[in-house]
Amino acid sequence: MEILSLLDVTFFLLTALGALVGIVFGAIPGMTATMAVAVCLPLTYALGLNHGLALLLGLYVGGISGGMVPAVLLNIPGTPSSITTTFDGYPMARRGEGERALKISVVASLVGGLISAAVLFLFAPLLADFSIKFSYIEKFLIILLALTVIASLSNNMLVGIFSGVIGIWLSLIGDYSISDGGNGKTRLMFDFMEPYLFEGFSLLPVLIGIFGISTILLEAEKGVKSDLTDERVKIGKGAGATFSLALFKGRLTNLVRSSFIGTFVGMLPGVGGSAASVLAYTQEKNLARDSSQMGKGAPQGLIASESANNALTGGALIPLLSLGIPGDSTTAVLIGAFTLQGIQVGPLFIPENAETWYVMMAALIFANFVMFFLMFYAIKYIAKVVMVPKHILFPIIVMMCVVGAYAINYGIMFDVWTLLIFGVLGYLIQKVGLEVAPLIIGFILGSQAEVYFVKSLESAGTLTIFFTKSPIAVVLWLLILASVVFSITMSLKNRAKHRQELLG
Amino acid sequence: MESGLSDLLSVSIDFGTSHLFFPTLITWIMAVLFVLVVATQVVPFLAAVKRGERTLPIVGESMDGLRFFGTLALIATYFYLMTVVGDMFPYTGYGFLFVSIPFVFLMSLLYLHEWTSKALVIVTLNAFVAPSLAWLILAKLFQITLP
Repeated sequence: MEILSLLDVTFFLLTALGALVGIVFGAIPGMTATMAVAVCLPLTYALGLNHGLALLLGLYVGGISGGMVPAVLLNIPGTPSSITTTFDGYPMARRGEGERALKISVVASLVGGLISAAVLFLFAPLLADFSIKFSYIEKFLIILLALTVIASLSNNMLVGIFSGVIGIWLSLIGDYSISDGGNGKTRLMFDFMEPYLFEGFSLLPVLIGIFGISTILLEAEKGVKSDLTDERVKIGKGAGATFSLALFKGRLTNLVRSSFIGTFVGMLPGVGGSAASVLAYTQEKNLARDSSQMGKGAPQGLIASESANNALTGGALIPLLSLGIPGDSTTAVLIGAFTLQGIQVGPLFIPENAETWYVMMAALIFANFVMFFLMFYAIKYIAKVVMVPKHILFPIIVMMCVVGAYAINYGIMFDVWTLLIFGVLGYLIQKVGLEVAPLIIGFILGSQAEVYFVKSLESAGTLTIFFTKSPIAVVLWLLILASVVFSITMSLKNRAKHRQELLG
Repeated sequence: MESGLSDLLSVSIDFGTSHLFFPTLITWIMAVLFVLVVATQVVPFLAAVKRGERTLPIVGESMDGLRFFGTLALIATYFYLMTVVGDMFPYTGYGFLFVSIPFVFLMSLLYLHEWTSKALVIVTLNAFVAPSLAWLILAKLFQITLP
């Protein structure tokens, strides 16, 4: 077993450290798992591949689950994905059942995480195996599908598509790289920019800017108020509020269903955790025998929400590892971290890096258990994290963002300025109502889309090739069409509902 | 008729200008989408603003101007001075260390709402400890390049 020799003490320590830091980040309102990964990136530069992955996956799992703490205790979702946790968690905390609510959520998170890890383990190699035969044409269509799916799940499809296209446009700035078969000439810029932007904007500074700096700008605009003026964090044990596994009796279907919903939503590119938990929550509401208590402090709501949002982790890694397409914004940062370690994710990743693949699975599963034990037994202390004042935290975050951006290409100051440029851009985008997720996915996939598209046309000489290449291409077109139709019917339904509400 | 259609769909790309093919296409798509977004979203929104039902983002909202623009100015100065100081001590990371300390201090002060002596002590301590720790761990221990 060669693999066992790779799993040394440092590996487990780093996973645990990652999970702990992730939980802390997730627990602080406004800080997300994406930010945790982005801020801790510089630490991985010095680590080897396996150790770096251990830390990053720990951060990812910890960051997603940490969001439940403020959701339950303060009614503020620590990460967007824990919105539905507030519905039932906060009423429970008000009744003095905070600890019980958190422990239910922790168990649900563990189950969600493990189920999705199992799906990842079984499904990603299959998908990779299948997609290995894809030519440039299918690869281009997959990217097109990914962007359509993201856009169709945005609040407004048109705005979603527009945001995605802006992302692609931004990614095209720079040269048409010779290593990709281009002619090495630059475009979309003025001559004076060439020394800085010859290779375009670097991915990680862009991501760190959008997720780190713009979050701080958005908070600064609101005056960086403390959310906890007179509110004391109540975790206390009320009478009969002790936790026991019996609470999960009769909730197994809910637990498993929500975990699978989370995994599935995670697989869709660019769809954040909030969609997963909202979908699982509404499904439980529709399908449960008794959903009358939901929203008033019912454990079943917590189970649905938390198992789904943690199941996102494994799900989001499936398209990342098998197709090279990130499933959510956190995996978008992970893709950058992989590139940094010299790994090209895509269909060839799993067959060519079998060891790394097993190491990742080990880290993912171990991170879930660490998350469980930390949160289950140390929840009282972790709950205090929500009290860390932002005026201490924010400057440190900016500082770590700088380190992350500067060191990525071994000391290029322009990468640090990229932080500011995209920090401001990210702020403006969110203010005017454009969507960040499609933009980021467009930015990540844009330059690949160009190569696949242009090379396909250069060799075939006709646009019809995109339709006639293979049966897979036809299936992909059908899927693209389906997601567009889905989006249009959804928006029509919403509009009709809205109109009815106005009339009624 | 058939040949007419395939003519329409056939494309030939000159390698010398192939770097412009996809960007031009995307720029056009972006422009068309922009017009559509303006027509379907922005125009109704502006009409609602005119009727007083909605407010414009950024300009029409209340914002903490001091903290927002203060943050922008601080970050820009921070980035700029880091290069300047970093060039004085190349390959040491001192640029990062020496500029981060005042930056962390000033940004903490900017965000601090109640200037109690206890809070000020914590802010000052943090301003010295956090950058030094980051510098020690990253630049010295892990040998990461810092300005």
